[in-house]
Amino acid sequence: MPLWTLRGLRRGVVTTRYPARPEPSARLLPTPPAFQPDVLTRDLADRLVAVCPSDALARDGDALVFDVGACTACGRCQAEAPEAAASSGEFELAATARAHLIKRIPLGGRPA
Amino acid sequence: MTTVQPSLAGEPGLSELLTGLGRDVARDGRVLTVQVPTAGLEPAVRRIAAHRGARLADVFASDPGEDRTPVTLRLVWGLDGDRGYLITESPVDGERYPSLSEIAPAAFAEECEIYEQFGIRPASGRPLNRVALPPWAGPEWPRLGRAPAEPPEDVHAPHHVGGHAFEFPFGPVRQVAVESLYYGLVTSGEELVDLYLFTWHKHRGVEWRLRGCTPAEALFFVERTEGLGAVGNAWAFAAAVEAALGLEPPPQAMAARAIALELERLYNHAAATAALCQSTGLVIGQAAAEIALERLLRVNAAVFGHRFLFGVVGIGGSRRAPDLAALRRDLPGAYGELRRAADALLTTNSFLDRLEATGVLTEEAARRLALVGPVARATGLAIDTRADHPVPPYGEFPPDVAVQQAGDVLARFRVMLTEAAESVRLIGEIGETGPGAGLAVPADDAAAPPGGTGLGWAESSRGESLAWVALDGAGRITRARLRPAAVRNWRGFDDACRSQNVFTDIPIIEASFWLTVAGTSR
Repeated sequence: MPLWTLRGLRRGVVTTRYPARPEPSARLLPTPPAFQPDVLTRDLADRLVAVCPSDALARDGDALVFDVGACTACGRCQAEAPEAAASSGEFELAATARAHLIKRIPLGGRPA
Repeated sequence: MTTVQPSLAGEPGLSELLTGLGRDVARDGRVLTVQVPTAGLEPAVRRIAAHRGARLADVFASDPGEDRTPVTLRLVWGLDGDRGYLITESPVDGERYPSLSEIAPAAFAEECEIYEQFGIRPASGRPLNRVALPPWAGPEWPRLGRAPAEPPEDVHAPHHVGGHAFEFPFGPVRQVAVESLYYGLVTSGEELVDLYLFTWHKHRGVEWRLRGCTPAEALFFVERTEGLGAVGNAWAFAAAVEAALGLEPPPQAMAARAIALELERLYNHAAATAALCQSTGLVIGQAAAEIALERLLRVNAAVFGHRFLFGVVGIGGSRRAPDLAALRRDLPGAYGELRRAADALLTTNSFLDRLEATGVLTEEAARRLALVGPVARATGLAIDTRADHPVPPYGEFPPDVAVQQAGDVLARFRVMLTEAAESVRLIGEIGETGPGAGLAVPADDAAAPPGGTGLGWAESSRGESLAWVALDGAGRITRARLRPAAVRNWRGFDDACRSQNVFTDIPIIEASFWLTVAGTSR
């Protein structure tokens, strides 16, 4: 067993104090989408709502309501409309209140 | 599907078997389907079960929809040794069918499941267990078919603990983020007398959810049914759809799938190594294995864009092509980390002592329960769908099937380590000399209807994963059967736990099986 202690000491610490440095592997993580308000129309928003498997998206009049807390970063919305949704790269999603995770995105696109 | 004469069905022994079963035989690639009337099911099962190399791989039912009859009972047999699969189809008009588990004990769990979902039960009247639905599930609960006519308490096995034994309940909520699973540990003090599992807390009705989906929609759910088996299960499902639609994915796409499947095997075996260390209290060994695991997950992300390899398999091909440069750059270091941890573990006597002679399964038990994967191979059964039922690229790049004889936790650990090394070899060979360095990704969902049925398979890290689908004329799913390897191997877990083990052996045995509740409670 002492050998294992030595092995552990030799291998060193692989964790770091948060956020000592940006974690390079984070760019490989699936992350929730960032939406382009200028491109979003009612029709497009409805298409995005329809493909979301976890009910993270809803349309409320002229706004797309995005519940980041319900998003599983599956990428379906990005595949459905790459012009309107792209991976945000944002994975630090902690918030002090549940309501802070719900975003209203105005639909700024012109109907085709 | 084309009808064939039994004499055309390949090897002489198989021809003889099919001749005895009847002439209504159809062949679709490596899958033979035989119509067997319910009255002839019992002798047919006896005949097939006695056939050399025949293994009952799955039993499931389907109905024509809207609770109509007859329910069709399907038995899937693996004719191991490169002889394909045999499916028997039997329409069941009444509420009873011949008891299968009295001939092939591996069928018992499915008899229970079919009763819950379709309301038909074996004629033997033997008490059944709960599988997917909780005790309070009434007839209004969603099912694949119609609800049983008899009240469940008249059918399900009563549970009694007698004598000096008592029951130690554990779960379904267990430590940290471990999956929901209820253990009923029956003990007289320290030694385990009996053990039973309830997995219905996690049942999600995935097969029910897949009805009416297009194959591409369904694939999304199939990948997420058992996250640690995303590639294996998705490959089996995609292959079933491809068989139904007559699609043949290009070799480049199959090579991409194989690389992803071997990466999935690697990270699962690393995770099992870490779990074994945790269960034996070797925290530095656990940390070493978890470093290897994390590096392997990052290899997955760098090569395929997802740590758990979601989104690789597509219907008719692959949706992601591997980054071979990242594979060459990152895999040797990540695997080296696992190898170093494993080499150190294999020279640590206090670790090996906990593994040796713990959770023993015999080859006879593995065969009787039709177990698969490393659990079966550790008992001496050399079954591996990559070798027994090869699909490209495994015909060109056959695996060296790792086998041990002892059937204990140590044997399972050794099988996993050997397989990890073999996966690295296969990834290298397929990536470097396989069909095209670029591994082109074909267009997804290229096929148009018509419908049909198909069976697909893949060797996941836990063993054979099977899927069967029926598509209607519009290309939508009318019935999808998912049979991950965990469905098979959980039925061997209680046998392994009862083999003269004590309480503290149970986590070690569970780690060595490395199953998921999600895989069985789908």
